[in-house]
Amino acid sequence: MGRIGIIGVGHTKFGKRSDASLRELAFEAYSSALDDADMDSSKIDGSVVCSATHYDKQRSPAGVVAEYLGLNPQPTFNVEAACASSAVGLRTAWALVSSKLHDVMAVVGVQKMTELSSEEIQELMGRAGDVMWESPFGTTMPAYYAMYATAHMAKYGTTEEQMALVTVKNRKYGSKNPNAMFQKPVSAEEVLKSRPVSAPLKLFDCCANADGAACLIIANAEKAKKLTDRPVWVAGLGLASSPMSLAGRKGPLTSFDVTKNAAKAAYQMAGMGPNDVDVAEVHDSFSITEILNYEDLGFAKPGSGTRLLEKRETELGGKIPVNTDGGLISKGHPVGATGASQLFALTKQLRSEAGSTQVDGAKIGLAQNIGGIGMYSAVTILKA
Amino acid sequence: MGFEKFGRFGYVSQTKITPLLSYLEKRQIAATKCKKCGRTYFPPRADCLDCRHSTIEWVVLDGKSNLISFTNVFFAPPAFQPETPYLLGLAELTNGLRVFAPISPAVDKDQLRPGLELSLKVAKGSGDNLYYWLE
Repeated sequence: MGRIGIIGVGHTKFGKRSDASLRELAFEAYSSALDDADMDSSKIDGSVVCSATHYDKQRSPAGVVAEYLGLNPQPTFNVEAACASSAVGLRTAWALVSSKLHDVMAVVGVQKMTELSSEEIQELMGRAGDVMWESPFGTTMPAYYAMYATAHMAKYGTTEEQMALVTVKNRKYGSKNPNAMFQKPVSAEEVLKSRPVSAPLKLFDCCANADGAACLIIANAEKAKKLTDRPVWVAGLGLASSPMSLAGRKGPLTSFDVTKNAAKAAYQMAGMGPNDVDVAEVHDSFSITEILNYEDLGFAKPGSGTRLLEKRETELGGKIPVNTDGGLISKGHPVGATGASQLFALTKQLRSEAGSTQVDGAKIGLAQNIGGIGMYSAVTILKA
Repeated sequence: MGFEKFGRFGYVSQTKITPLLSYLEKRQIAATKCKKCGRTYFPPRADCLDCRHSTIEWVVLDGKSNLISFTNVFFAPPAFQPETPYLLGLAELTNGLRVFAPISPAVDKDQLRPGLELSLKVAKGSGDNLYYWLE
């Protein structure tokens, strides 16, 4: 199998983008990815449009996105894996390029969420779980993750103060990211005093709904080398699934098997382990999620993820800096764009273009992207 | 038809396991059991995962359970907003199967902790809705 390279990346400003429609957001990200790759549309022989389509007013959005980007008559289609849509989109495009069906593809992650009323959003959120057996009791996204937090606190003594350190760290880096929705740092006290959402999670433990897009242009090794002198290579791809219902899962709810399985596959494919990773982007949909991810990815032993935070090992200068772009907690979470946004940040890091948040000498990057309430998890390893 | 009566606010109306409602009406909580291999399912399933047979019988559960985790929901979907805050829990039944259910407001939330013994009981919702909760 030949190597597949990321040759161009683009990213919009995330947040409440009342100035732009879904297709216009997609264009912003795609156009900046073409600029980044110093190429035009003529070499793109297919597109994968990634979004959680239930949020979109447009049905089957790949149709209108491909039209607006000028990517007809090349193949296009949607990939949906909830919050992990564009990580799965990269996996899909990787397979299409590896198989030689395509040479150069655009992976476009895009989501328009704030156009919906908060009632509509909450109604959708209420159906994020198993609609037969769990949604009829009033579940929410934060409620599911809160139950993992409760279990982790009971088993390992994790505290709300420790969870707040995730938000404080990520908002600190978000303040340096011009694309982030929230660019103001917060203190631990502000996190702890924010209003309860689903105990023990409070408002500032949670990421926010947002609009935005991010785009990756990928190519086979031959084209990648021809088109750019700074390709970033896809070294490992892991994807796993877990029962959607909480009742269908095993264990004490202190870890996500789905992430452990995805990480195992990605490490195996890359021939690497957690100690090889120089910089990581993990799915901090909630503060507790980042802590569980440290443990599930092998950065920390079970129950000791909080020690990495206390020892500042996941900050710049630490053993493994995590979410140096501010993470979902700062950037906002335009569901379909988040996976590509993480890979945008890693690509910048591995090309030493991350400016004030650059991890010195970063050569290996890992991104981890959870779908929904943990029924999907994708781990992607990139190499300079 | 009629399964939308399950839960505090039901979303799904059509399923093969609608007979659960008639057990709930009798204040019983029932699981399905594969007639071929005997594997038991809760929440009920119409189709056996092990042998792919779809002939099932219903067995009544004792409802004894141990809490695995819980949360207190303050920010809720529209249909549930008037009830906030409310408790949700995951518990393990004596047969090893798990149940996701509300926790009765009669339970003192300060006493909640993983491992706490609770009982799964039938609860009545608004209108003629029926479900179960942990108490």
